[in-house]
Amino acid sequence: MDSKELCYLSAGQLSRLIRKKEVSPVEVIEASLSRIQSLEPALNSFITLLSEQALAAARVAEREIQAGRYRGALHGIPIGLKDLFYVKGVRNSSGSRICDAFIPDFDSTVTARLKEAGAVLLGKLNLHPFAYGVTGENEEYGPMHNPWNTSLITGGSSGGSASSVASGECGLAAGTDTGGSIRIPAALCGLAGLKPTYGRISRYGITALAWSQDHAGPMARTVEDCALFMNAVAGYDPSDPTTAGLPVPDYVMFLTGNAAGLRIGVPREFFESPLDSQVSECVWKAIQRLAELGATVSEVSWPMYRESMAIASTIQMVEATAYHSKMIRDEGPRIYAPARLRLEAGVFISGADYVQAQRARTLFYRKSRDLLKEVDLLAGPTVPVPAFRIGASSIQVGDQKLNVVALLTQYTRPFNLNGFPAITVPCGFSDQGLPLGLQLAGRPFEEEKVLQAAYAYEQATEWHLKRPPI
Amino acid sequence: MAKEFELSRETFLSLAKAFGLDTKDPHMEELYAFVQKVLPSLRSIDDLDLTGLEPTWPLTSLKE
Repeated sequence: MDSKELCYLSAGQLSRLIRKKEVSPVEVIEASLSRIQSLEPALNSFITLLSEQALAAARVAEREIQAGRYRGALHGIPIGLKDLFYVKGVRNSSGSRICDAFIPDFDSTVTARLKEAGAVLLGKLNLHPFAYGVTGENEEYGPMHNPWNTSLITGGSSGGSASSVASGECGLAAGTDTGGSIRIPAALCGLAGLKPTYGRISRYGITALAWSQDHAGPMARTVEDCALFMNAVAGYDPSDPTTAGLPVPDYVMFLTGNAAGLRIGVPREFFESPLDSQVSECVWKAIQRLAELGATVSEVSWPMYRESMAIASTIQMVEATAYHSKMIRDEGPRIYAPARLRLEAGVFISGADYVQAQRARTLFYRKSRDLLKEVDLLAGPTVPVPAFRIGASSIQVGDQKLNVVALLTQYTRPFNLNGFPAITVPCGFSDQGLPLGLQLAGRPFEEEKVLQAAYAYEQATEWHLKRPPI
Repeated sequence: MAKEFELSRETFLSLAKAFGLDTKDPHMEELYAFVQKVLPSLRSIDDLDLTGLEPTWPLTSLKE
């Protein structure tokens, strides 16, 4: 198998070969580093590349496996971390030169659990500065480029995570999602990306954006890889009091390919929002495919869907301003201009308005919970448009010219507010050959159902097998 | 309907100063325009009936 083919194997496929000792972790990491060398800086996926450390870790993994100490499905798998997951001894930029000197002296819980699982860290991945943006643009480290067309955005904020996995530089990557930052770039780059339930994965040792809406999760080329990541990382963490002490199932067990009996609701509000006609068509076909696989599909109404944007934005702006308050005061002019405006705007939202937003959140949570008594899952588009040109500040959809942030987050942000799990999977391509995403969301702590439906759809289609022309 | 959003320049500068922003920075003009544009869109929360509801405590797990 040639080096590029090796890079495009899913983590699941690679793990089976590594376990059988048909491929060695060193071979895999060398192929990844070669792929990175050939694609960088064109994609600009990485902020910090850890070539030597990765090769050293691969040699250790190889010795362990040869000695019969196989750790599990991620042993020897090449991974990348968005550059806001702390890695002991490695710069954590959070996407800004302001933080260049910050070298954490401990691992985030996600980092630690991935290391424990035997995954090999290739490097720290580029992101929208401070994760406060949805396009993957970054003036200081340079914009991330979409592997399907390098003049287009990756989406963000986990843009480097998306470009690295979509191009075969990494087998799997970790991202974070406060308003859609896993699902948006995953959809625009043709990947699966899971935002788990709030409290399912520890946030300890991750640069925050808005504590109460931040989620960490996998970005991968297959749904199975998302499940493997969850198996290694999910679960209670005493260092993060918001994690749940609930048992973590073996998520792979739910990947049966069967969607029979699942009740899927399609909120009509999704299709009353600005939406590109090609995206709408592909998503409806995907929902139809799920029905053919045995799911029951019905139209539903999601109360407070529209208000959820204002509620989530209010909370996010205040929490982000609070978290970054010292930097805003001390380093204001050095902050990436669009992020600076949003960070400073939170100053002008009152404490009373923040609490009102949290009360409204309680109501939205209850409405969402009630809706998901009628159905098991919600389905719809992940992002209303395909990827667009880097630098665009507004996008034309039909006869409307729309703000990029509001447009890209319209389907993802509500699930950051209620904390429910949501995944995106590829569901087709635009006329320009750009990937489009289907979003499936479920009840809190029912990631297994979300993964089950996503896997059934994925296995019934071939979208996830397409590769970008790079 | 949500009440109209009003933030006078005087109040804006006063809040900015209290937080510790440099109110003499020319950037303040841009920030004022941005705040005037963005914050009114958040007022739809005022239209919700929140009677009897307590805030979601942000830093607790969703487990019930």
